This record gives sequence, structure tokens and C-alpha cells, in this order.
Amino acid sequence: MTGADLSGMLPEMLPRLWAFALRISGDQHDAEDLVQRACVRGLERAHQLQADTAPLSWMFSIVHSTWINELRARSVRSRSSMEWDDDFLETVEDPKARTPEQITMNAQIIEAVQRLPDAQRAVMLLVAVEGLSYSETAETLNVPIGTVMSRLSRARQAIGALFASKPGQPMKMATFGKDSAS
Amino acid sequence: MKVDDITLMAYVDGELDIEERREIERELDDSPDLAERIELFRASSLPYQDAFAQQKLPPVPESLTRKIAELSRTHASATSPVPPGPAADPAANDAIAPPNIGLPPSAPVRSLMRFSAPWLAAAFAAGVFSCVVGLRLLPGLTGLPGGAATVASAPPASPWVMAAAGYQALYSRDTVAVATDPAVSAKTVADIHQIDGLPVRVPDLSAQGLTFKRIQRLRFHDKPLVQIVYLPKTGGPVALCVVKDAKPDQSLAQQKINDMDVVTWRQSELSYALIGTAGQVDLGQLGKLIAKRDVDAMFSQAPLPVRPVAS
Repeated sequence: MTGADLSGMLPEMLPRLWAFALRISGDQHDAEDLVQRACVRGLERAHQLQADTAPLSWMFSIVHSTWINELRARSVRSRSSMEWDDDFLETVEDPKARTPEQITMNAQIIEAVQRLPDAQRAVMLLVAVEGLSYSETAETLNVPIGTVMSRLSRARQAIGALFASKPGQPMKMATFGKDSAS
Repeated sequence: MKVDDITLMAYVDGELDIEERREIERELDDSPDLAERIELFRASSLPYQDAFAQQKLPPVPESLTRKIAELSRTHASATSPVPPGPAADPAANDAIAPPNIGLPPSAPVRSLMRFSAPWLAAAFAAGVFSCVVGLRLLPGLTGLPGGAATVASAPPASPWVMAAAGYQALYSRDTVAVATDPAVSAKTVADIHQIDGLPVRVPDLSAQGLTFKRIQRLRFHDKPLVQIVYLPKTGGPVALCVVKDAKPDQSLAQQKINDMDVVTWRQSELSYALIGTAGQVDLGQLGKLIAKRDVDAMFSQAPLPVRPVAS
């Protein structure tokens, strides 16, 4: 893989990198900066990308590590959930008929994931949203696969606890009662 | 015995073998705590991809699109090919794939790693799609549609491909002897587009000597799986199977599963498996034609537009 090869793929990957950056940083300006820096780093190091590594998960990994470094630099260990831009928690109306219950449910799922601690959220985003395997996720986050699985299990326990009370139905819990979405 | 959460998660996701399952079910009888934890994992099986596909995100800023385009152009013209090798800059290794790429994972976790996320209830088929080595053994993103020139050897098959190949092995020419009413097939195609949300195109392979026989809506792990069956002039039927899969495109790869030849690829968020009795039809060639859309479509309602990747 060369910078030239990767540079041809970046414009196509951009929407997914942007969405991922927004979802891990929770801030538009941070996300823009993050994607740009990650692309520069990616291009500089394209020769290290092995033929058998998926370029997209490799770029996710650079976005993620760039963000972690940024957080360290700011001495922010974990952004408080108060800082989240709640606009991101809204969902759009789908032209295909979706019931208000589904729309509310989707908003609750997104909120439940976004409220996870950073490390667990990254694993959930990569596995459940981006569809990476456990091993690809481990590679992307540069952690052992056991860590991926234990973060995933903690994240799912937390999310399960929110949804277990009313299976298959929107939750009543105050923090999730976003009527605006329905 | 104290069952740890990772094992329990694998239990709920159906990833344990019979012995391991029984072990947990025995524990379950006298541990209310265990039942509670299982309930939490079950409740966490949610349509995440579907939900996030609905998330209202700000569009990619124009300034960013422009900068990345510039950056790409600069690199495309300025970089000369550098052979892959050890990193020159030691600090550059922080976000890079580990050195043991290609080695099999360690045995104890293997069974847990086989599927990435079969618990993505009602979500798209991506969840059942990630083999251990998955993407990594295959050529990169750019394999399709431009350069489907080579057919790579494949990684271990995805669970749905294994299932589809096993199913196909039961087919004989007699299975599809009775012709399906074209109106029924057209209705099935419409349902696949509208209800299953799969923009599947039914390739007309008559010029290649394969007669369309029928199209069926199957399910694998609760996700739609489309099976299109053709009959070649001789030998067993050939099936083109399709599931939704939001991962990047992947070029053609060929392998043998039991006694079936299987060619797989991924294109525009659909994963394809072309399956036939070994050694009868050149499936690699056929797969290339289908992937490059060098053949006409039957029942040709325009397929639904593919869901935008990250909106």
C-alpha cells in the first residue's frame, strides 16, 4: 500500500470517518480536526498498511488513536456526558414508514451507546455499528481481544439494564424519554 | 463455578458448543443471579446499525471534503511507491496492525471470535459476517468494481455462506424441475426490494447457459438472505445468494465448502456467494460477470437506492 493507493480511497471513506469521529468526540470542530489529522497521518504511513489489513479499519484506528492522544494532551480523561451535543442524539424521519415507537427506540439506542464510558463506546461503535469483528476491533483499538470482549460485555450489561425493564418497548426512564424524537 | 460475563455473552449469542451450553444451563438452575445477567445480555441485543443509520449527523463539512481531496491529490501525484516493510519511524507504530497478522488467533478465544456480532438483533447481516481473518486476507477496497481481474483464495467462510452452501448441497436438478411462474418471481423480487430492503438485481445468465429457475426469500440469524437458483445445461443447480453487509467492498474469492464451489464478494453493501457443485461451472468467471454487471437484470424494477453510508 502506498500513499497514492490510500489517497484514492480517502474521499470515499470520508463520510464514515466523519461519522466515527463525531461519535467518539461528540463535537463537530473536534471531529473535523480529528479526521484531517488522521488523514495526514494515514497518508504519511500508508507504506505500513499491510495488504491484508482493511484500509477502513486501519483509518478508524488512526482516528481513534489521534483522538486518544488529543484527550491526553488536554488532560481530559473522560468527557463528561454533559458536554455531548444533544443534536447528535436525534434521529431523522425515515421515508420508509417507521412507527413513532421505532423512532423513539432508535433514539434510545443511540443515547444508550453515546452515554457509555469512552472505551466501551468505542468498542460498541466498531462492533455493533461499523460491523468489525472482535479481532478487527482489537487491532483497531490496539488492545488485546480479551479487552474488547470484556468492554463489550460491560457495555452490553449496561445497555441491557436500560432496556431489560420493558422488553421490546421504549423505555420509561427519564433520561431516555426524548419525546421530541417521536 | 462462577460463569464469567464473556462466557455468558457467548452463551446468549449462541456461540458456545453443546457441552458448554449444558454447563451453563446446569448452573442456571441454582443461580438466580446468572439468569439476571443473561437477561441483561438478551436485552442488549438491539438493532444498533439500524438505529445509528437513523442518527442525524451534521453533513461532512465542505471545508473538510475539500482539504481531504487536496491532500489526496497531493499524495497521489507526489508519492512514489514504497515497498511495504518495517516502519522507518519507530514512533509511527502506535496505531498500526500488530506484527502477527495472518497467524491464527489463540485457541481459547477462537470460538468466541468466530462471529463478530450475531447478537445484532434485527440489524443488518454485517453481524454474521466477520470471520476471524475476515477482510485481512483479501485484496483491498479497490478490488471492485474496477479490477475484479483476479480471484483470490478465500478466508474461512462466513457462517451464512457455510449455511447457504450446506443448503445448496441438498439441491438436485429435480428440486427445481417445476418452473416458477414469472409473476410470482417478480412479486418476490419486489418484496425483497421493499420489505427486506435489499437492492438485489437478478442477473440474466441465459447467455452463459444458465436458466433462471426461482428466487426465494430465506433468513439467516433473522436477517434476509436472498437465494436465486439457476440451472446449467448439465450438472446441479447454481445459486446466487445475497445478504446485506455494510462493510467495504471486497473482491472475488473462491473456495470449496464441502463439495461445493463457492465464490464470494462484497459490493455496495451487499455480500454475494455464488454456489454450485464442484467442478461443473466456472463460477469465478460467472462471478466476475455478475459483479461487473456485464449481464442484464431480470424482473428489472429499478433496485432501491443503496442506503448512504454514514448519514
